[in-house]
Amino acid sequence: MMADTTAIGTMTADLPEFADLVRAYQRMVFSIAYHFLHDRAGAEDIAQEVFLQLHRTLSSLKSEAHIRAWLCKVTSHRCIDYARSRKEDLPLDRIPEPVSKPSSGDPLMAALVQRAVASLPPKVRIVVVLRYQEDLEPAEIARVLGLRVNTVKSQLHRSLDILRQKLGGTLGDVES
Amino acid sequence: MNRLENELRKAMKREEPPEGFADRVLARVSERKQFAPMNFLMRPSFRWALAGALCLLLVAAGVEYRKDKQEQARGEAAKAQLMLALRITAGKLQLAQEKVQQIGALQRY
Repeated sequence: MMADTTAIGTMTADLPEFADLVRAYQRMVFSIAYHFLHDRAGAEDIAQEVFLQLHRTLSSLKSEAHIRAWLCKVTSHRCIDYARSRKEDLPLDRIPEPVSKPSSGDPLMAALVQRAVASLPPKVRIVVVLRYQEDLEPAEIARVLGLRVNTVKSQLHRSLDILRQKLGGTLGDVES
Repeated sequence: MNRLENELRKAMKREEPPEGFADRVLARVSERKQFAPMNFLMRPSFRWALAGALCLLLVAAGVEYRKDKQEQARGEAAKAQLMLALRITAGKLQLAQEKVQQIGALQRY
């Protein structure tokens, strides 16, 4: 899934051009933060800070492709830092239900999957979010997070095992 | 793709940000731009210039201090020489006075 892009001109920090950038990438940035935190207010805070940082560094980014990679990277790191600062390690039953309804499919299943993902350790969780929300390949995730490709692959494998265990019987219904 | 991955993709569809999100971001950017005159203080070029000016100031203060010390030392040396000259003169005067007194006593006898 590529960014919901519009045509972006030169990489300037002028307000009209920057407004186009915000509108083009706000869903991507907000969703990464939201699927990571499972909290809309926290996700908005992170997304706003990411765009303010983008405005400060825009002149050093060469192209739109760089902007997307940069946004994924900065959002991911801010999410991990946020989780660290809250010493977040929530048990499954303390993770809130999602406020917004999933757009398609079984809403109950989607909510269960989201809660299970939100209970993963932060560094593994961000890998899952980038893989299944942004559809990034392990090599791209490795570049964004500064990890080795094999590490990303093993984290994905491990996280799928954990999710299968957490979802237990519910997933059995799906996989049957 | 297995069923779990399929469910993950469905559950992780992009969400719409809260209403007015972009406007709030742009308002914060504009707010920061209003304080742009203060931003030059944070620029690396300004910081280097400030560091350079402080270095120059320190060097100038050092040179001035050294000059003062040298002046002071010259003054001390001149004072010591003057004191020595005064002591020699006082010695000579004392000698002359003794001689005058001796001559006066001889004349009285």
